[in-house]
Amino acid sequence: MAARDVRTELDSLILQLLADLEELEAKRAALNGRVEEGWLSLAQARYAMGVKSVGPLQYASRMEPQVCVCASEAPDGLQNLRVVRAGAQIPEEVGPREAALRRRKGPTKTPEPESTTAPQDPLNWFGILVPHSLRQAQASFRDGLQLAGDIATLQIRISWGQRICFPNFLQ
Amino acid sequence: MLESAELYFNVDHGYLEGLVRGCKASLLTQQDYLNLVQCETLEDLKIHLQTTDYGNFLNNQTNPLTVSKIDTEMRQKLCREFDYFRNHSLEPLSTFFTYMTCSYMIDNVILLMNGALQKKSVKEILVKCHPLGRFTEMEAVNIAETTSDLFNAVLVETPLAPFFQDCMSENTLDELNIELLRNKLYKSYLEAFYKFCKNHGDVTAEIMCPILEFEADRRAFIITLNSFGTELSKEDRETLYPTCGKLYPEGLRLLAQAEDFDQMKRVAEHYGVYKPLFDAVGGSGGKTLEDVFYEREVQMNVLAFNRQFHYGVFYAYVKLKEQEMRNIVWIAECISQRHRTKINSYIPIL
Repeated sequence: MAARDVRTELDSLILQLLADLEELEAKRAALNGRVEEGWLSLAQARYAMGVKSVGPLQYASRMEPQVCVCASEAPDGLQNLRVVRAGAQIPEEVGPREAALRRRKGPTKTPEPESTTAPQDPLNWFGILVPHSLRQAQASFRDGLQLAGDIATLQIRISWGQRICFPNFLQ
Repeated sequence: MLESAELYFNVDHGYLEGLVRGCKASLLTQQDYLNLVQCETLEDLKIHLQTTDYGNFLNNQTNPLTVSKIDTEMRQKLCREFDYFRNHSLEPLSTFFTYMTCSYMIDNVILLMNGALQKKSVKEILVKCHPLGRFTEMEAVNIAETTSDLFNAVLVETPLAPFFQDCMSENTLDELNIELLRNKLYKSYLEAFYKFCKNHGDVTAEIMCPILEFEADRRAFIITLNSFGTELSKEDRETLYPTCGKLYPEGLRLLAQAEDFDQMKRVAEHYGVYKPLFDAVGGSGGKTLEDVFYEREVQMNVLAFNRQFHYGVFYAYVKLKEQEMRNIVWIAECISQRHRTKINSYIPIL
């Protein structure tokens, strides 16, 4: 009886592994597609705006990240990686700073550096009136980011399955 | 007043007109484009370009070849030709050439100011500025904090000075204000250029005025299209529209109220010239509005060469050369990204 349980569990693990591999392939293909689309849209934006208007001159050498990778423990003990907006991570610190901002909105109009409660859209580095292709590029790259997080989680699960799970079961 | 262009034009400008027509004949043909489209790498592209009028223009570039380097070298070549024309020109053709360079000067000023916002070094940006828009005070542009500063301290001696009347303000130059400055400067420049051509009269006015009217209307449409979904208000938008086009005044007023592409299309349908352009957007080739406008611009510029004894041939040649550079850069990008589905979206000229 015990041997049959072990076999059924092994079967289900193999099926899970193959399903994960299939999902991984699909997500990789989707990520490649998104990234290619993004780069082509950037080329279209360069066609409309000029080659030097969409390039390394437009972004600073240091930038604040808008998204972060959030690692958490899933119930089966594996790491789960998610891509989240950077601002959403620090809710405690925004509170007291918001009150300070409200006080500053009084008659004094000295240009004080604003705290990053609203992160600046990188699209604005290229100007306010940007062509549609640049917005499309941004959307493609954002989708790609989400997929990247999912792919990383899947890869962790697959390599765990290959490394640890099977040798233990086959013993 | 007799039409006297045929009698006197060649005295001062005949040599240059002959020269520019020769340059125009060396633009890439459809066969050249077919060869370029079949290249597998940028090195192949460079070899194919050596057989055209471009010759060995990429020989000074180090490996690896990038699209940006190709673009820079093409611009340098155009600038050398243009400088030759300008150095041999007499008035009023010299003023005409100065007007042509103002648009590149505006672009360079904006590039420098945006670079200052991103804390880039001036040297880094100067290398990437358009060579046709070079002027001596360029390096000092990044010290200006407001538009009035920029005018009084830096640009008051340049040809851009007359275009600053509507743009003076004490607001600090952030992205929105820089964009507003760019469009207002360009609007003043276009209106001044239009007036210059109109006052010149003769065949120049007959050729250049429709071209500049189209440019004004094109800018109005593109500004409207790009402003959907941004923080630019409708009143601000209306102040950016150049008024020397066919759309002025009713069309511009309607355009200022438009809130999406369909409303813009309905405004364009009142004008016989623009209705077919808007109808061609989308379709099977996936053409954007910018593509359609570029095609129309190429048509008008090619037709400019059918008349003689006017300055429009110089303007048309530079614009056609720019379209050729855009085509080559597009083909190069498709090759370097190995994404060949849209490689045939260039606009053939000859």
